[in-house]
Amino acid sequence: MGQAGAFTTSFLEFPRVSFYSVLPADIISTVEFNHTGELLATGDKGGRVVIFQREQESKNQVHRRGEYNVYSTFQSHEPEFDYLKSLEIEEKINKIRWLPQQNAAYFLLSTNDKTVKLWKVSERDKRPEGYNLKDEEGRLRDPATITTLRVPVLRPMDLMVEATPRRVFANAHTYHINSISVNSDYETYMSADDLRINLWNFEITNQSFNIVDIKPANMEELTEVITAAEFHPHHCNTFVYSSSKGTIRLCDMRASALCDRHTKFFEEPEDPSNRSFFSEIISSISDVKFSHSGRYIMTRDYLTVKVWDLNMENRPIETYQVHDYLRSKLCSLYENDCIFDKFECVWNGSDSVIMTGSYNNFFRMFDRNTKRDVTLEASRENSKPRAILKPRKVCVGGKRRKDEISVDSLDFSKKILHTAWHPSENIIAVAATNNLYIFQDKVN
Amino acid sequence: MSSWVQKGSSGRLLGRAYDLTALRELARLPQSTNRYLFRAAQSPCIPYRRVAMEVQKEAQRIMTLSVWKMYHSRMQRGGLRLHRSLQLSLIMRSARELYLSAKVEALDLEAPSPPARCPDPRLHPPREVEVPAACVPPDGEQPLPEPMDTQEEEEAPPRAAETETLVRCSPRPARVCRKRRSSSLSDGVDAGLVPSKKARLEEQEEAKDSSSEVPDCLPPPPAQAEGAFPNLARVLQRSFSGLLSRGPAASPTAPPARDAKPACRPADPMLSVLVRAVVAF
Repeated sequence: MGQAGAFTTSFLEFPRVSFYSVLPADIISTVEFNHTGELLATGDKGGRVVIFQREQESKNQVHRRGEYNVYSTFQSHEPEFDYLKSLEIEEKINKIRWLPQQNAAYFLLSTNDKTVKLWKVSERDKRPEGYNLKDEEGRLRDPATITTLRVPVLRPMDLMVEATPRRVFANAHTYHINSISVNSDYETYMSADDLRINLWNFEITNQSFNIVDIKPANMEELTEVITAAEFHPHHCNTFVYSSSKGTIRLCDMRASALCDRHTKFFEEPEDPSNRSFFSEIISSISDVKFSHSGRYIMTRDYLTVKVWDLNMENRPIETYQVHDYLRSKLCSLYENDCIFDKFECVWNGSDSVIMTGSYNNFFRMFDRNTKRDVTLEASRENSKPRAILKPRKVCVGGKRRKDEISVDSLDFSKKILHTAWHPSENIIAVAATNNLYIFQDKVN
Repeated sequence: MSSWVQKGSSGRLLGRAYDLTALRELARLPQSTNRYLFRAAQSPCIPYRRVAMEVQKEAQRIMTLSVWKMYHSRMQRGGLRLHRSLQLSLIMRSARELYLSAKVEALDLEAPSPPARCPDPRLHPPREVEVPAACVPPDGEQPLPEPMDTQEEEEAPPRAAETETLVRCSPRPARVCRKRRSSSLSDGVDAGLVPSKKARLEEQEEAKDSSSEVPDCLPPPPAQAEGAFPNLARVLQRSFSGLLSRGPAASPTAPPARDAKPACRPADPMLSVLVRAVVAF
């Protein structure tokens, strides 16, 4: 990766398709590759986490790239009840973030609305056998029958992957957690809810530092909420958070303990020609992501994706229209609640391509260098192995060509909110409601 | 939307010259309204009044929808979401401003000089529910579920829940915003929007049934929905009967205080009660 030229010709063709379906009742709510891309974690509405692992390339089939198979499944969060407020706390997993691997085990953070948990996923492929005091079934042996001394030995067993909760970070958020982000120091992480951001140390579960608090003294004066937050990939003192008003604030934790005063403030002045009844709510940013280089941030609002240079606060350097044909349909989208959908956006490994989801199981990719873009569909029909994905086009008016789909035929119940891109290869994971699609690039 | 509403520093909301531009902005609304608006833009023969009425209806529809959504979001698992509530409040505020502006426009077009007092009877009745609700912002949510449980009507409970949280917000911005325009508007419109609550309560306690309106400033709902609403009045009467007796005493002090307020608060009180409801969690 890193060669834009080689990529642009092939990124439009994603022929190898792997397709996994989780249980029908569970809508996937988050997708995340780990730092090497070997593992892919998905969280669903039922509080479960499913981890996929990439097959090692076998020597027999050199050209066959590894496919992802289920590695581990565990119940991360259960529904809870807040007795004080008489509220049910949903078990839906809002975000999963991997920790970099430091030993044989894998660690990830998963969060629902109120509680963050650190999970350790480890393999066990050996089992001690030959205990002195216990027999094979584990029952204690009668001491009188023990006549010899033997040392238990480790014998191979079938691979077992077990997930254990190592830390539970609870009771720190009054409002609903929308983001978690692991710091580049690998010792701390932050969790953000609607009004506050807390900094945690992985080792300490009963304390957290509040680093951002935008709750007004008088809640009547509330005008914006925090919608997403992320740490800088390299600078452990820097993070950004986005708001419902379409602004991004970059904060430096060295400046003060409470980062209410931002270091940088990114806001694009509103285009008066685009002003409409729903302008305010479609400008709400649903996702913010640092580029891998740390130089840029990407934000997703309802209709666009914007790339900002950290050095320029007054406007984004690039704006991509994801589905501008919806601009005239905002009232209908308000009626069916689609206008509140929170789409995510992702960078590819070299920061040259960005991807985000849309409706009708469409997802869009934008090549920042060539300015080309493509719309692809994640659907069962297209998911035959090695099928080449055909670019799709939405017809906005006038004559509809043969392969085009008209705006009114779009299925708004099929939305792609969560996508992930392998950190170094052209492998993408796309969550379409309760199906997970994994697309891989053509073998060169 | 709010920009052209606030432009009326001279007193008139919009001169005729403005109408088209402003109404074109309103053309972001759905197709049905679009048709009228675009036609109006092209041919001045289409009466502006009809356009304004269409806009009014649409704003009303959006407000009703928003209130329903707010209720519905409260019922969902996980409780009220602050961000969603904020967004819904923003829409409600915009819809409300739109409605009021269109209404003012319609009134202006009806008569060049508004009569000394043209109370909008449709706007008055909802005031009764305002006072008790105003006295009981978040607390009112607690007793409300019980009477709501007994409601057979599907829509009455949501309306009840929403009214008691939202009803307080709506009139205040209107009242205060009206103050920003000159007094030429005040007579006709303010009478409808700045009711003497005390007088209303005493006079129209029996007429509560017609007051069961969801967003307080809106005219009565269409006939088919009206069947659901009469119960609202009874619900509120039952829950807040004690407060009703206190209400008139409290209200006279409130309007003067508000009258003294020079400018519309940027952060809408509409959000306030809703948010207070959220904080009550």
